[in-house]
Amino acid sequence: MSSWTVRVREFGLRNLPPERLLPDSQPAYMTSAIYLFGALTISALVVIIGSGTILALKGPAWWHVASIGHFFNSIHLWSVELFFFFMVIHLWGKFWMAAWRGGRARVWMTGAVCFLVAVPCAFTGYLSQQNFDSQWIATQGKDGINSLGVGAFFNALNFGQMYSYHILLLPIAVVAIVALHILLVRRHGIVPPIPLADSAGAPAAE
Amino acid sequence: MGSVVNLNGTAHYVHWHFFLMSVPNVVVIVLMLIVFTVALFLRAPGAKKPGGHK
Repeated sequence: MSSWTVRVREFGLRNLPPERLLPDSQPAYMTSAIYLFGALTISALVVIIGSGTILALKGPAWWHVASIGHFFNSIHLWSVELFFFFMVIHLWGKFWMAAWRGGRARVWMTGAVCFLVAVPCAFTGYLSQQNFDSQWIATQGKDGINSLGVGAFFNALNFGQMYSYHILLLPIAVVAIVALHILLVRRHGIVPPIPLADSAGAPAAE
Repeated sequence: MGSVVNLNGTAHYVHWHFFLMSVPNVVVIVLMLIVFTVALFLRAPGAKKPGGHK
């Protein structure tokens, strides 16, 4: 009986052979710029993680007292804006391509879950600003969270808890789901265009 | 950006029947729709034309 390392290696090579994991070409149908928005979303995520790492090193109050801190805070904010901007357009594009076809349901589902996890990740950032805006948002948000019955677990007024969620727990979740999403895209390939109907009006077989 | 648009006041709202949304949110959504539409018809960088030539 082989060891777990061998089984993991064989599983990886079987499902993601190197030429599929890191391809050197894309399908001929990938001609429209709408196919770029997944990569643009990942690019924005890289900037978010980079600028967020610098902000974490200097602490949440840094951007209030240093112009360079304000600069990196702005980079962080606007990369998040672009992340959601690109991700929503990516979502629209994949929805109209019916990108769950051809056994790609898990690709679609991981993308949807990534969006759902990224939203609280961004919201906890609003709570980490350490200004009147974050206090206002926390006092408003707690009522919504309490109405869901989860106020004992997610206390929007607890800065330490929200900051931990923002810079550690939720980013790990987002990056892990994005990584899984990309591996599944590599595994199944980019969804082909929807076949045209034949002359009788019946949809062509895939 | 702050010097171009005064961001220190409360946001203006678009209110039409049941529809109520701040102008910044409307602007972002309209921008997304424009970028989405343009992206559908723009050729991806490096993509081959239907004839097989770049």
